[in-house]
Amino acid sequence: MGDFSPYDDNGGTVAAIAGQDYVLIACDSRLSTGSTILSRFTPKIYPLSKMTVFACSGFHADVLTLIKNLEVRMKLFIHEHGEEMSTKAVMALMLPTLYGRRFFPFYVRPIVAGLDRDGKGLVASYDPVGTPEFFDYVIQGSGENLVHPFLHNQIGAKRTLSDVPVQAPPGLTLDKAVKLLKDAFLAAAERDVYTGDTVTLVAMTAKGTETMEYQLRRD
Amino acid sequence: MNPFNYNGGVCVAMKGKNCVAIASDHRLGAGRLTVSTDFPKVFEMGPALFIGLPGLTTDSLTVVNKLKFRVNLYELRENRKIRPHTFKAMVESMLYERRFGPYYVASVIAGLDPETDEPFVTAMDVLGAGEVNEPFAVAGTAEESLLGLCEALWEPDLAPEDLFETLSQVILNAVDFDCLGGAGATIHVIEKDKVTTRTIKTRMD
Amino acid sequence: MALSKVCGLDESWESYNFEAPAPEVSGMKLNQPRLSLDEFAVGLSMPSVDVNQKVVQALLEDESDVQVEHQKVANPRALFLHGTTTLSFKFQGGVMVAVDSRASSGQQISSQTVNKVIPISKYLLGTMAGGAADCTYWMRVLNRQCRMFELRNRERITVSAASKLLSNMLYGYKGYGISIGSMIAGYDKRGPGLYVIDNDGLRVAGNCFSIGSGSPYAFGVLDTEYRYDLTDKEAYELARRAIYHATMRDPYSGGNVSVYHIKETGWVKIETQDVSDLFYKDRGL
Repeated sequence: MGDFSPYDDNGGTVAAIAGQDYVLIACDSRLSTGSTILSRFTPKIYPLSKMTVFACSGFHADVLTLIKNLEVRMKLFIHEHGEEMSTKAVMALMLPTLYGRRFFPFYVRPIVAGLDRDGKGLVASYDPVGTPEFFDYVIQGSGENLVHPFLHNQIGAKRTLSDVPVQAPPGLTLDKAVKLLKDAFLAAAERDVYTGDTVTLVAMTAKGTETMEYQLRRD
Repeated sequence: MNPFNYNGGVCVAMKGKNCVAIASDHRLGAGRLTVSTDFPKVFEMGPALFIGLPGLTTDSLTVVNKLKFRVNLYELRENRKIRPHTFKAMVESMLYERRFGPYYVASVIAGLDPETDEPFVTAMDVLGAGEVNEPFAVAGTAEESLLGLCEALWEPDLAPEDLFETLSQVILNAVDFDCLGGAGATIHVIEKDKVTTRTIKTRMD
Repeated sequence: MALSKVCGLDESWESYNFEAPAPEVSGMKLNQPRLSLDEFAVGLSMPSVDVNQKVVQALLEDESDVQVEHQKVANPRALFLHGTTTLSFKFQGGVMVAVDSRASSGQQISSQTVNKVIPISKYLLGTMAGGAADCTYWMRVLNRQCRMFELRNRERITVSAASKLLSNMLYGYKGYGISIGSMIAGYDKRGPGLYVIDNDGLRVAGNCFSIGSGSPYAFGVLDTEYRYDLTDKEAYELARRAIYHATMRDPYSGGNVSVYHIKETGWVKIETQDVSDLFYKDRGL
């Protein structure tokens, strides 16, 4: 019993970019424990509503429980108010949900991404107890340290810190963003043993949702 | 405290077409204090041979002096310039001599072979274990960031100017995510008959 | 939120309502005011694993020793965000508040753009040092309690009372591992007010404070130059310079320096500047 731990790290990387008229979410599909691969196809993106998706790496059991909690709260909201929660509202809901477990935290690295009511992209990332961060791009998980500087280099390097936008500049079109995240995941899979197999990209625009899949290293 | 994080600092080297480049940051810390912002960690070992030694600074300086001594002795005895491969073996054996009380330094070596002009880069751990067939080598407190950036930005057959640009972007963006690195960077681009040394500005906080 | 729309509530505040956890103070349950919109109410749940209580307990207490290296125990605590320089001082023109904007987990910088000044009301600001989530969450709780006070008593809450509310709430959780070092600064009927509070229940009034890993460096500048009769301009410059010099020496502080001024008419944000820009401007580069 001495070796029991209530947590495990199942690895994996998730990322998102908020654009002027789109939001792009990406994840790898590997699920591992220690040096064992549990699954080669368990993508870490979960739809929450028409406008909002959730992406999360960390301890898979905690991820699933967290999603269940969120879904219950979102359903209660619909019954109460007769409409779906907006993306901004889901983002605000994350802090109390995660902080409610302050003394026995979920081992999770969540991202909430979606479109606001005007069709603009929004992304937010959180630490395990719910500190929110709003940025035009976010990355979480085992490949974070490898890839975050690359995204910073491609998207964020030129601007000053005192002026950070919520959406990426108009020059970063959806096609460019897809290419960027694909490259980022290829680089992560190359060096991070917990990231690999496939990268799943979900692009949301006012017109609808499109899902893309590309192969990554399988070793 | 982990001796690798006490002083802080990073080194990275990269192969190009008939050239190599090596870079380090300028920060020198002492635990939770930045002591100096003018302390590059790359040292010259020959006309086309450099070694970067991030880690515990007191050990880096000792290792550098010991290596310089051995390189001088080798070149006097052999009456020729040392090859990067030979130098790597020298560093390797010197570090492994301290198997049970190692110097707390990682090393990055970059150079051109004096006979064939073949580019050479390698990175080694505290005991001298290293890989020679990679196109880039990283070490120091921002190791993961450097590795990710190298993997994403490096291309084969970079010309000296492009190599400088790529390596600048790599070290610049990596130290932006490292508390213990940064405060400027020095980049040496090594070509057949010349070494170009340039200092670049980074964030200073 | 349908109801909030009817009430004309600012959209960015929708679902900011939630149940404040009710701490037990000397066996007495504090009476928590309830809003009508708190269907997302959460308390702070406690771990209920009893067979493995020891392991769980160890995880709860241990913060630094358990690392997230993959062979070791996965501990979410190692991923919490830390590191800061914040300062605040009273002067003839009111209260100055200045903060940096870096958040780090371990030696990795996770953000350079964190907002470490949390508005509690138009006349009250709180600063954030320690656990980022702890500060954000408890400031939101305080925010609600201050608003409730105003609605019930038809007058603004004093800085003293606001800081005591927070201090008392945190005292109820003493020993649970919450990490907060905060300055509550504001302007009320008694004039400018400034209190330091922390997670152990400490609450001290004073004229000049700095909190965080960079505070020794900030104090170096602050103590040298501080006078009560600083002009507004001098006060802005001093606050900015103290944070700036701290970010240069402290590896866990950096990013932007943000300066706030609290006057009789409420708080105003004076500026946000990238400290690296300040450095190169300083040297004329």
